[in-house]
Amino acid sequence: MDVIPSIDLLQGNAVRLTRGEFRMITKYGSPEEVLDALEVEEGARLHVVDLEGARSGRPVETEIVRKLAKRNLRLQVGGGIRSIRDARTWLDCGAQRIVIGTAAAESPNFLLQLIDSFGVDRIIPAVDVRDGTVRVDGWQRNASASLPAILGRLQSLGLKEILVTDIASDGALGGPSFSLYRELRAITTLRVIASGGVASVGDIVSLARLGNVSGCVIGKALLDKRLSLTEAMARARTPNSIPERVIPCLDVRNGRVVKGTNFGNMRDSGDPVECADRYEKEGADELVILDVSATDEGRRTALEIVRRVAESIFIPLTVGGGVRSVDDFRALLRAGADRVAINTAAVANPQLIADCAREFGVQAVVLSCDVKGREAMVRSGKESTGIDAVDWCRRAEALGAGEILLTSVDRDGTNAGFDLELLRSVSGSVKIGVIASGGAGRLEDFRDAIER
Amino acid sequence: MEVTLIDSPVANVANIARALRHVGADLRITRDPQTIADADKIVLPGVGSFIAAMQWLREQRIDEAIRHAASNGTSLLGICVGHQLLFDISHEMGATAGLGLVRGEVRKFNGSLPVPQIGWNRVVVLRSSLFEGIAEATPFYFVNSYAATSVPSEIARAEYGGTFTAAVQNGKIFGVQFHPEKSSEAGLRLLRNFVQWT
Repeated sequence: MDVIPSIDLLQGNAVRLTRGEFRMITKYGSPEEVLDALEVEEGARLHVVDLEGARSGRPVETEIVRKLAKRNLRLQVGGGIRSIRDARTWLDCGAQRIVIGTAAAESPNFLLQLIDSFGVDRIIPAVDVRDGTVRVDGWQRNASASLPAILGRLQSLGLKEILVTDIASDGALGGPSFSLYRELRAITTLRVIASGGVASVGDIVSLARLGNVSGCVIGKALLDKRLSLTEAMARARTPNSIPERVIPCLDVRNGRVVKGTNFGNMRDSGDPVECADRYEKEGADELVILDVSATDEGRRTALEIVRRVAESIFIPLTVGGGVRSVDDFRALLRAGADRVAINTAAVANPQLIADCAREFGVQAVVLSCDVKGREAMVRSGKESTGIDAVDWCRRAEALGAGEILLTSVDRDGTNAGFDLELLRSVSGSVKIGVIASGGAGRLEDFRDAIER
Repeated sequence: MEVTLIDSPVANVANIARALRHVGADLRITRDPQTIADADKIVLPGVGSFIAAMQWLREQRIDEAIRHAASNGTSLLGICVGHQLLFDISHEMGATAGLGLVRGEVRKFNGSLPVPQIGWNRVVVLRSSLFEGIAEATPFYFVNSYAATSVPSEIARAEYGGTFTAAVQNGKIFGVQFHPEKSSEAGLRLLRNFVQWT
């Protein structure tokens, strides 16, 4: 989603009118000073309204727009464009696109002429909406057609993007009308530039998450310095502040990485340190090592491997497998693990979760939960417990687990996709993070796990 | 470049040492106040409890050594609780005074999200040479229940049920709430910036 700062021009100044009244003007200085203060960078989109032009019906602030265009901005200019000649004037000044208000709702023929002359990509139709009705002529009267009819017409003309201003929230800093933009999602495939009411980073994130909103115009909140443009832009690009993580899991047995199917049928797939190194270079966000060997000899080897892997990577490392006591837990942390996963021993003695959380902090404690059907399994997926996996995860959270590593025994190594139903029921029941494991084979599987 | 890493028992010194060496630091790991007072570049690590970390600094008289070095223009980087120690006060179980090298107070997250925050979070509005070569909204690895909010010396922020300060700079004093030593390429870049530039 693009964040589009907006400035209204009047007599060479960037201004704001209160409730559309020319008698109540706030001046913010020259447009250039304002752009510098907002730290608008080259290549950014900028929404410009020629207020005098809108009032008088001819382009007025052409000199300023020409100057702004020299800054290499993607300008969209609106305000009283009523003829092909007006439109050409703005485009000749360096505007990338022109914003057409009343005519977009009321004069399909004029719109058609504009499209024929300049192409659909250079025209942004704009509608102002109050209570579901389009208002025209400076919000003075209702448009002759309904909102869905107008949108349908714009879409059939081949236009792609529309600017929608929610009149009630414009300049009010009370948040945009999410219900309006959500409704639009149902009635049109036009991409929507939302305008009106954006006041916080939260508003931007919520708009970006709607999916149909391709841009948001922000005026007052930026000018009054309630919002920083840099932050607004960063948030709009990445509305999920917590990024998705890809965490390769190395199953280690007797010092070698093995990979099996449904927790059995193990094949050798390399040296743990080499694997860890490769995964980190390929962009893994974290790493999990599960030691699947049960013998004491295997355990000592595992500690040595953890030490070597921890020394070769600069991402968080979670280690699990055969942890039976607070001492085992401590030994793995000392060897360089950031977090330790416990499974079988925690089912036998849930207090172990609480003890480790108290001793090492909840950030260090991961509940590893292997699930078959809906049941938590222990001893590397071999033994039933009769405990419902969702109940168990909820209880572990209460005891002090900081995260859950959720593995579907049924999907492990099958490339058949994550068990989404299981993932949803666990994620929905706990507040702590859940790492999905078992079954991922295709890129879509990761998308599904995150979105669905 | 010579870097002095404070060998706090309330910290993950080994991981930070490895990352600093990886980016070219000639490392001294020490608890000696005099060495710290005379250092050119200091890294102050910390995990877990602010109170325990601050108490240890006071007992060892390292708090004075750090303030002395800072007043002589030494560069300093605080990491995680080491970052929190730079502030005036932390409200972890009552108010405890910090080093007072950066104005502001550290408070518990008060949103509905689970604490501690564990994992990657995007860092935005990067405003310092410390973040040179690092893109806006790059994720870093965090483990924290407490943070400062909108302090004057903020050079980066992040969102966790509300906006909090992810990094600060006051002259040559820097602090990062996240763990650069666990933040992959971006974290190493930040450490390299500190070691080679500041």
